[in-house]
Amino acid sequence: MLQRLLGGGPQSRKKKVLLGGGALAAVLLAAVVVGAMRGPAEPQSKGTPRSMRLLTQDQYLNTVAYVFGPNVQPTTRFAALPRIDGLLASGAAIAGLSDAQLETYQKTATKVAAQIVSEDSRPYLIPCEPAATDAADPQCAKEFLAQVAPLLYRRALSEEQIDRFVAAANQSADALHDFYQGLSVVVEGILMSPNVLLVAEVSEPDPDHPGETRLDSWSLATRLSLFLWNAAPDAELLAAAQSGALQTKKGLAAQVDRMLASPRLETGVRALFDDMFAFEDFNRLAKDNTIYPAFTGETAVDAREQTLRTVVDHLLVRRADYRDLFTTRKTFMSPSLAPIYKVAAQGPGWTPYEFPADDPHAGLLTHVSFEALHSHPGRSSPTLRGKALREVMLCQTVPRPPANVDFSKVQNPDGSVKTARERIDFHLQNPSCAGCHRIMDPMGLSMEAFDGAGTFRHEENGVPIDTSGNLDGVEFTDIVGLAKALRDNPQVPWCAVRRTFAYGTGTPADSNDRRVLEYLSAEFAGQGYVFPELLRDIALSRAFRKVYEPHLRKTFPLPDLKSAERPQQTASAEPASAIHP
Amino acid sequence: MMNNVNDRQSRSVPKRAALGLTALAWLPLLLGGSVTAAEPAAAPATKSAAKAADGKDWAPPGGRIGYVLWDEVSWGLRETPNKEECPNGFNIGPREQFAEEFPKDGKKRTLAETQLKREAAIWDPDTTPDEFPFHEATGKYAIGVNLDGKDTPEDFESDDGRKGIDNQLFRVVGCVRNYRKEGELGIITTKWRAQKPFNRVTFELTGVDSLKNDPDVTVSYYRTLDTLLAGPTGNYLPGGSQRVDTRWGKRFIISAKGRIVDGVLETEPFKEILVPEDGMGDPAINIFRSAQLRLKLTPESAEGVLAGFIDVEQWYYAMNTAWATHHAAYGQASAASIYKALRRLADGYPDPKTGQNTAISGALDMKLTQVYVIHPESAPPLSAAR
Repeated sequence: MLQRLLGGGPQSRKKKVLLGGGALAAVLLAAVVVGAMRGPAEPQSKGTPRSMRLLTQDQYLNTVAYVFGPNVQPTTRFAALPRIDGLLASGAAIAGLSDAQLETYQKTATKVAAQIVSEDSRPYLIPCEPAATDAADPQCAKEFLAQVAPLLYRRALSEEQIDRFVAAANQSADALHDFYQGLSVVVEGILMSPNVLLVAEVSEPDPDHPGETRLDSWSLATRLSLFLWNAAPDAELLAAAQSGALQTKKGLAAQVDRMLASPRLETGVRALFDDMFAFEDFNRLAKDNTIYPAFTGETAVDAREQTLRTVVDHLLVRRADYRDLFTTRKTFMSPSLAPIYKVAAQGPGWTPYEFPADDPHAGLLTHVSFEALHSHPGRSSPTLRGKALREVMLCQTVPRPPANVDFSKVQNPDGSVKTARERIDFHLQNPSCAGCHRIMDPMGLSMEAFDGAGTFRHEENGVPIDTSGNLDGVEFTDIVGLAKALRDNPQVPWCAVRRTFAYGTGTPADSNDRRVLEYLSAEFAGQGYVFPELLRDIALSRAFRKVYEPHLRKTFPLPDLKSAERPQQTASAEPASAIHP
Repeated sequence: MMNNVNDRQSRSVPKRAALGLTALAWLPLLLGGSVTAAEPAAAPATKSAAKAADGKDWAPPGGRIGYVLWDEVSWGLRETPNKEECPNGFNIGPREQFAEEFPKDGKKRTLAETQLKREAAIWDPDTTPDEFPFHEATGKYAIGVNLDGKDTPEDFESDDGRKGIDNQLFRVVGCVRNYRKEGELGIITTKWRAQKPFNRVTFELTGVDSLKNDPDVTVSYYRTLDTLLAGPTGNYLPGGSQRVDTRWGKRFIISAKGRIVDGVLETEPFKEILVPEDGMGDPAINIFRSAQLRLKLTPESAEGVLAGFIDVEQWYYAMNTAWATHHAAYGQASAASIYKALRRLADGYPDPKTGQNTAISGALDMKLTQVYVIHPESAPPLSAAR
């Protein structure tokens, strides 16, 4: 804001400095004026619901890697989360826990614990040596557990709680005649604790705003850390929570800025966009190898990575305009992707790559990750691509197709029908189809310039592809035109704000206060759509830390047949504080 | 606004001047701080070009196209269904020769008189007359190139009517089971060629105005570094990239002029083409002197022969080190007999002192697939097949 007020680029700003005292006075005046002209304050809002959500697999693994080091990376696969309002992060708030999941958690915890106490790891992961390895050593056990348990529980633990862990470690060590196995049993137990696996947010009265509630310090620290780093809080953030600094404006800003400046921000931003772009679908993406022989399993992995690298480079390294993600020709190339793009791979690994100005590749829509992910195994799909554009990039909802769709028209065997545009023309002729397809097909057909593997093409079955279309009234003739239309669509930054806020707060956008999102969007625009600034604004917003009691779903258990009495209604969730240590 | 991402201070500066005069403390940084993004060096752009439909003329972008060797079909063997080229049948191998030389007749023989004698004949071969009959491949036709420009009685004719084909190596190995389709060398050599980076070699054509007809192109040969682009069914796909090995592969680099006629490339002689061959971990280099290429070209692949006068000693060394005893036994390839035939039929590069030929004409029958050739410190090749 200050830079904009001063006007001009960096060179001109430098010159102004040289103008001396007069300029300084002007700057002082300008600062005062800006103070008076500051934008609207964050509007009042209800805040977000105090939620209980499941730690995702990546959050769990990132946390373990932070606490015990990156070498401790157990192979595991947690159960898939439901996608709610475009985000798995929101789905984590309604996910259940089955016996099978618990078994997975237990296996994972066992692997982690075994690796920590292994002979290779113990010298640097356990800060002391026991007096004897075949017996309990309460002092050494306490030293270790007092260090790691708070990081895993994401909060300070009482002396009594640590002592209970130590007692359990001693008991196991005595029974197993092995100090390290004793520790391993306790670590395994901690990693399976509901307080570790579930993020149960706790609220407290907000002393600055009587009658309102806010997240307590620990919950705020966790929400911040999962948002920006996709991992549990680090020791410094927990210390800020413990001291109460996190509940002060200055202390919160200091921690948020520290987190934004950390290299761990990249992990957080990658996780956010991996979720936003529904990239978990890559786990089950397969292409017909007889049709797309160059598309291998490695291609799918690299396609996902290419887009995430581009996002990180564009948003964090270059701090460029978020909207330009949809038109940028700068990306990264790997040997597995180069054959799909029909370009040379410069190295055995990833190398920066820029498509030339006249190239049809411009922006994320032209990445293999978008075109191949939203296609069928053996052919492209204007409808899937149009739907994804609406839902993923614009946060719109396309209704599900009716159950009685006649797919025979799509699979028209008529040899004279050469292109997808001809094949799906009936969509727009049939009134029952046209309602939805009108919002998908016009932009999906322009993406027919890419086959089902994401390779650019001019023709389909020997017939030139008509790539013209329109997006919300903006006409274009080719895929680059679509990319520009999308880039300039006001819904794009709005969608980014909505998804990012929902991701950060862990609650579906439906529950978010629209006025807050509008405020954040205006700020985002005012800051030139620099994404880290949006992250900062969200993290520092009152709406981020202000919470309210969620509406509890009432359950009606089956009547007790023996007594034939109707049981009383019970809430499905207990107060979160009940399960805290 | 393009701020340096490392300039974390500027990110943490409050955005609004309304935060008060404290913001002024950051002013010098804001005004004088770097605003140049720490951008990684982007690779120069590639240019798109339309690929011709099959049968139509096409010029690779920038007049440049590379082909990497992935399949060695054979050592220039022209095999007929009725084995007409081997009227006397196939040669016997080391097991049969051993049994013949040392029959189970009750006679006592020492290890040195038997196994070590045979071993010595392999590793210290000579040109004395073979104790066993050796069946050379015969006939009118062979695969290859007229290397010396002459048409002599020992030369062959190609299937497409070219006279004076020099391929004496065909006579040597044409009736040895190992080298024929019945043998296993073709399959395994191709596997090794594809899988072992040591064996990676690439040709690059430059100055190509037409892949159909161009009287003047330059063909360069490189040792390259990268794995092949594998398809889902064990084949190798066009569109991969190969980086030229300029560190250890300098001695392999060589160029020659060529011409394309009706989609077939023919080159002037390369002085010497070195073909690396690592089979079982004991690498060797085959040397093709006065080498010529004859390749049928498409935008996706090339197929044909690398012909030349092949250094006999190097070829023999490569055979013995690349292949294990069991390959020779099952493939009925007697090294000692093959050596004598090689020396007997060698037809090029006479030793100045002895006058004996040191090289034998032959051809490597091969398949190549299109790649982008990456030259270090140079502009990347242009996009093809777009």
